[in-house]
Amino acid sequence: MITRRVWPALALAVLAAWPWVAPRYFVFLASLVLVNVVVAIGLNLLSGYTNQLSFGHAGFLAIGAYVAALITIHAPAVPVIVTLLLAGAFTAAVGLAFGVPCLRLGGLYLSMATLAFGFVITEAILNLDMLTKGADGLRVPVARLGAWPLATDTARYYLTAVVAVLMVAAAVNLVRARPGRAFLALRESEIAAQASGVPVAAYKTAAFGLSAFYTGVAGGLFAFVVGFLSPDAFDVFLSVDFVVMIIVGGLGSVPGSIIGAAVVTVLYDWLAAFQNYRPLIFGAILIACMLFMPGGIVRALAPSARR
Amino acid sequence: MRLTASLLIALLALVVIGPAAAQQGVSDAEIVVGCSNSFSGPLAYTGEQATRYGVDLYFKVVNDTGGINGRKVRTVYYDDGYKPQEAVANTRKLVEQDKVFAVIAPQGTAPVAATLEYLEENKVPLLFPFQGSPITRGKKYVFSGMTLYDRQSKMMIDYLVGERKLKTFGVLYQDDDYGKAFLTAYEKDLARHNLKIASAEPVKRGVTDVSAQIAKLRAASPQVTFLVLTPGPGAQALKERQKIGWTDTVMVSSGPLTDEKYLGLAGDAAEGVEGLSLWPDPLTSDLPGVKAYRAAMQKYFDKNEPNRYSLSGYFAAMLFAEGAKRAGRTLTRETLIGALENVRGFDSGILPPLTIGPDHETQKQGFWVRVEKGRFKALTDWLKSD
Repeated sequence: MITRRVWPALALAVLAAWPWVAPRYFVFLASLVLVNVVVAIGLNLLSGYTNQLSFGHAGFLAIGAYVAALITIHAPAVPVIVTLLLAGAFTAAVGLAFGVPCLRLGGLYLSMATLAFGFVITEAILNLDMLTKGADGLRVPVARLGAWPLATDTARYYLTAVVAVLMVAAAVNLVRARPGRAFLALRESEIAAQASGVPVAAYKTAAFGLSAFYTGVAGGLFAFVVGFLSPDAFDVFLSVDFVVMIIVGGLGSVPGSIIGAAVVTVLYDWLAAFQNYRPLIFGAILIACMLFMPGGIVRALAPSARR
Repeated sequence: MRLTASLLIALLALVVIGPAAAQQGVSDAEIVVGCSNSFSGPLAYTGEQATRYGVDLYFKVVNDTGGINGRKVRTVYYDDGYKPQEAVANTRKLVEQDKVFAVIAPQGTAPVAATLEYLEENKVPLLFPFQGSPITRGKKYVFSGMTLYDRQSKMMIDYLVGERKLKTFGVLYQDDDYGKAFLTAYEKDLARHNLKIASAEPVKRGVTDVSAQIAKLRAASPQVTFLVLTPGPGAQALKERQKIGWTDTVMVSSGPLTDEKYLGLAGDAAEGVEGLSLWPDPLTSDLPGVKAYRAAMQKYFDKNEPNRYSLSGYFAAMLFAEGAKRAGRTLTRETLIGALENVRGFDSGILPPLTIGPDHETQKQGFWVRVEKGRFKALTDWLKSD
């Protein structure tokens, strides 16, 4: 019982102190980790909890990122929190619109549809070049919080950290409450869930919308942290990386999403130095993880952890 | 609490003041430079050749003959797989962790564009990126590498209209920034000669079937058909033309497409294709600089065949060394920029004598080639775009 209070407090303390103890580059890297944490939680809510595997989350990330960037360019007075909420809401709307027709699809067919969704989004970005500047790429201006521009790495880090903490807290509460239990029931057996009075269609669609909302907000943060958007950023391999994060961390687990996002992001960064051996080493580590930790890192660390 | 705060501030002050004393990336013994590049993804071959077998090749030669003003050059590379966000992360790591003096020869418009502002703000020189879009213009710390697309277009049109007296033009272009950059440049340059494009057909990125576009272009029967594509679809366009027996047009490939990889893909359908080449043939040229390049390749990487990408990286390193040498023993970013801006008539033995001015454009030329028996044969001397 004590550890359950100690760990979050410790994590918050480290998060708050990080920019003061870490070198500048690691402040930036931590911001990227936090962005990916939000994506991984969003994806895990969909794939880990309701068993709808998505290979198109780079598309949702792109929507959130471009919406946030366009709002900041065309309406610079809008405070960054509102921008992020709008990015999340718009992405959630797209997610819902996409989720409804996908209700009839299951397993591989759903994954195929999400895969196609990812490609459609990058094509759309290329073709809406009046708005997105296409393959040229879009420079994202500095976000503003009222009169205060978030122009430094530390400011952007704190923005990302605060949003990520709120999103994690919301997810933890959600999965412990009725919707979370309904999601889990859906994963185990749709028929059994329906028999127990879970409205299957409503919850499956809601999971899509919620997942898209998380990823859209993360997209907004991504835009501000990276500072430049182009369709090349959001290819299918990024979607696969997100899936890797939740599998390595642990499907159906919020701590697992956090650990998975952190491990994969830091690993990627570290492996960049291996140049053309990077995909090879990354693949080998992945296979080893699957072989020796099939339940993800979180269950390898605490085998008795509640699912 | 107050003590901790003041200690923190003191520490911060030290961090801020620290690097001003000596130039980052330059010590008594060495100069550190590097870049983020594609070592995986669609342009992995190009990236690896330009850096490890290009930039490094020249620096090996320099280091083995005493270095630059007594300093050896060390390089650091990171893979970005052509993703802009990873290019940003890698570039920041180079500047903030590896403390590089300058970024040299990164690749691709999007990854380079993503890092431009950061490098300019932090006053880190970005030298000779391997991309041709004019996004690099007008920056104090940026020097362009390959001849920019609008200059390439000018040389192509002036040669075809002025020397060859050709009058009708068709364009098959990739429907993105790269394709449109050339298309608008062609339109502008043709307008100077009171000419217009007869037919322009777009190809979506990633599409390889171009038969419909080729048929439409043939219907307009232009004397010249420009191909502004990537190697795959470019080769496909040539095969399609061969298949339908369309012979009464001169196929002209755009600058970046004028390379061996594309020739190999097209096979004998590439015979007779013309284009603007930015580099002398790395395998057969008798220019002294290219011979030295081949000798170095033989010495250090005897299993790696000479190619245009590694030659371009080799040349970038050569130009950096020239600038650093001119800047002298007190090498700083400012003295390097000043020295490069004052390069006059630098003879590399690879390209014609090179002068860099305040516009920071290092290459402004190319020459006309035609494919004969599977190799590019030069038809003109160097063409100029000034």
